[in-house]
Amino acid sequence: MPNPPPGLSQRDFNTALGRIEEVVGREWVFKSDADVALYRDAYSPLWGESEERFASAAVAPISVEEIRAVVRIANEYRLPLYPISTGRNLTYGGSAPVYSGSVVLDLKRMNRILDVNERDKTCLVEPGVSYFDMYRHLRTNNIRLWIDTADPGWGGLIGNALDRGGGYTGIDYRDHFDAHCGMEVVLANGDLVRLGMGASPQAKTWQLFKYGLGPWLDGIFSQSNFGIVTKMGFWLMEEPEAALQVSVTVPKRRDVVPLLDGLHSLMCAHTIPSQTTVASPIMNGSADPELVRLRTSGGTASDADWDRYTAAQGRPFWSSAFIYYGAQKVIAAQWEHTKDRLASIAGVQFRETASYTFPLSDGQAEAVPDKPRLGIPSLNLFSSRNAPGAQPSEGHLDFSPMIPPRGEELIALADTTGKIYGDLGLIPTFVGGLMFHPRTMICFHAVPTYRNAADNQRTRRLFETLVRTCTDRGWPIYRIHAHFQALGMQMFGFNDGALHRLHETLKDAIDPNGVVSPGRYSIWPKHLRGRA
Amino acid sequence: MSTRRIAANVGAASAAIVGAVVTVVGAALAAIPFSPAVAQDAPFPIAAWSRTTAAAEDAGAPAERGAAVFNNWCSACHSRGPLNAPGTTSLQNKYQGALPAALEDRTDLTAEVIELYVRNGIATMPFFRKTEISDADLAALAAYLVE
Repeated sequence: MPNPPPGLSQRDFNTALGRIEEVVGREWVFKSDADVALYRDAYSPLWGESEERFASAAVAPISVEEIRAVVRIANEYRLPLYPISTGRNLTYGGSAPVYSGSVVLDLKRMNRILDVNERDKTCLVEPGVSYFDMYRHLRTNNIRLWIDTADPGWGGLIGNALDRGGGYTGIDYRDHFDAHCGMEVVLANGDLVRLGMGASPQAKTWQLFKYGLGPWLDGIFSQSNFGIVTKMGFWLMEEPEAALQVSVTVPKRRDVVPLLDGLHSLMCAHTIPSQTTVASPIMNGSADPELVRLRTSGGTASDADWDRYTAAQGRPFWSSAFIYYGAQKVIAAQWEHTKDRLASIAGVQFRETASYTFPLSDGQAEAVPDKPRLGIPSLNLFSSRNAPGAQPSEGHLDFSPMIPPRGEELIALADTTGKIYGDLGLIPTFVGGLMFHPRTMICFHAVPTYRNAADNQRTRRLFETLVRTCTDRGWPIYRIHAHFQALGMQMFGFNDGALHRLHETLKDAIDPNGVVSPGRYSIWPKHLRGRA
Repeated sequence: MSTRRIAANVGAASAAIVGAVVTVVGAALAAIPFSPAVAQDAPFPIAAWSRTTAAAEDAGAPAERGAAVFNNWCSACHSRGPLNAPGTTSLQNKYQGALPAALEDRTDLTAEVIELYVRNGIATMPFFRKTEISDADLAALAAYLVE
């Protein structure tokens, strides 16, 4: 038998697991060390250290009724559960619980695509449905709807949406939580609720109209621990007639100011429909000492210094990538207008990098180089690991500050974080930002993790410094690894942590025994506050 | 330009278009290089994914079932490439041709080695839980890759 969670006797723990076995079947309660180890965070920044977060066991129900029964048992024993959907939220904590000793409630077996409505362009899925599952389902059944996939695409629709992840395609789809419409939740007391129009049992609009009647509560089930989401509806994108992928490059570092102003205007006007990435080919992946010196200068390197360096490289400083979807005539007009809007930037260059009409054959889809922009899940992001000069690590965390979409802010962020890396003897990793939300830019930094404590200690110091410094500069994060969620919530501490107090007030009301994901996003049940 | 002329432009054609620089503001719409389809049907993964269902993983001879498991869980990184093969590229870098980079081309794999990597991961590749790849799936995968 595994060790019980803190505060629970071995006898009660054994009894609780025994009763859970009666619900889900012995085969689906994992107790051996080898099986439970599969729930470790593969990219943990605490790998092998005493503070690494471990599950005590794992349980894999197959139905909503089994979940409800497990939750009721958990309440009897105050047994902490940690629900996961596909368990692939790697870089943000994976399938390991926030509170060591929790029993992981692994929902991967609940992988049914309950509905795809081609006319309404919606779907309803269970938590175990991955992006690959959904993509295959649509292709196999010749349904001309697209998903919007996270990148890498090994997660699932529900888990990624609940952690408020994003993707690449149209504005209604790439903010994955915003793209949901309707959910079903098992509450911490075992009750079952449907939100939005789903609360009206005969409603034909559960996946079409988000609000239903009364307070709109969906948001409290994202980045939280107030319930276990068992179904979610999503809006899907109708396959367009055509798509045109383009890039816009500008030669100098400071050119990002008019570039981002222009791109932002074009996105707000919906001329550019897709996520827009702005990255620097100059900063990308080089350990050239002169470049490292410039990047770690903390902003003391002048524009002239940067221009001299950039000119010698024969590459533009910034490259923006985005894609148009729709009728070809409309696309052509959108692209022309985009070029008109950005033409005043000296040295700007416009390229069409790929064009498509749909549907694609299997072979054509397979050969698409930049799959997520067409809603095709892919793991090709990991190719960056094989790039010349790459610095291999076992994994990484994503540090993901949000900035206004202004070039001055992007440059300031690069200077600020570059110096932090440099001060720790590291080469900066930041190469650019992307806009999967319409009015902000997320500036992902890959912070490497390892399977050794010494390197990970440096990683944790780096990560915490990045979080604190960037918050001070006005760039807090949008999402954060489980180990750093307490730190993250501290960064949202207006009025002495009033928001966090509200979260825990809700927790006390909705989950008084603290059985669902204690500690997730730093929301603790009363009996664990200040102790965990 | 008719809709029919706008066709999928992938593979070799896209490389050519990447090189095309259009700086003429107000260029005629027809200048946009939507190109005719040139892609060859790729040998495998997406078509195979589309056929992969839970039922396929639950039935059939071990090697057949193992192929479904491979397509479902492994091929997005370990296809023969060159696309969809970051794992294959990584193994190419590791072995420098001393061993085939694509797992399906290896003749030296054993069930024990496959289990070691599936359950322990390596480098960026994470390990897989039994709700993802069950012990029976793993045995089938080994049957497919070892045969």
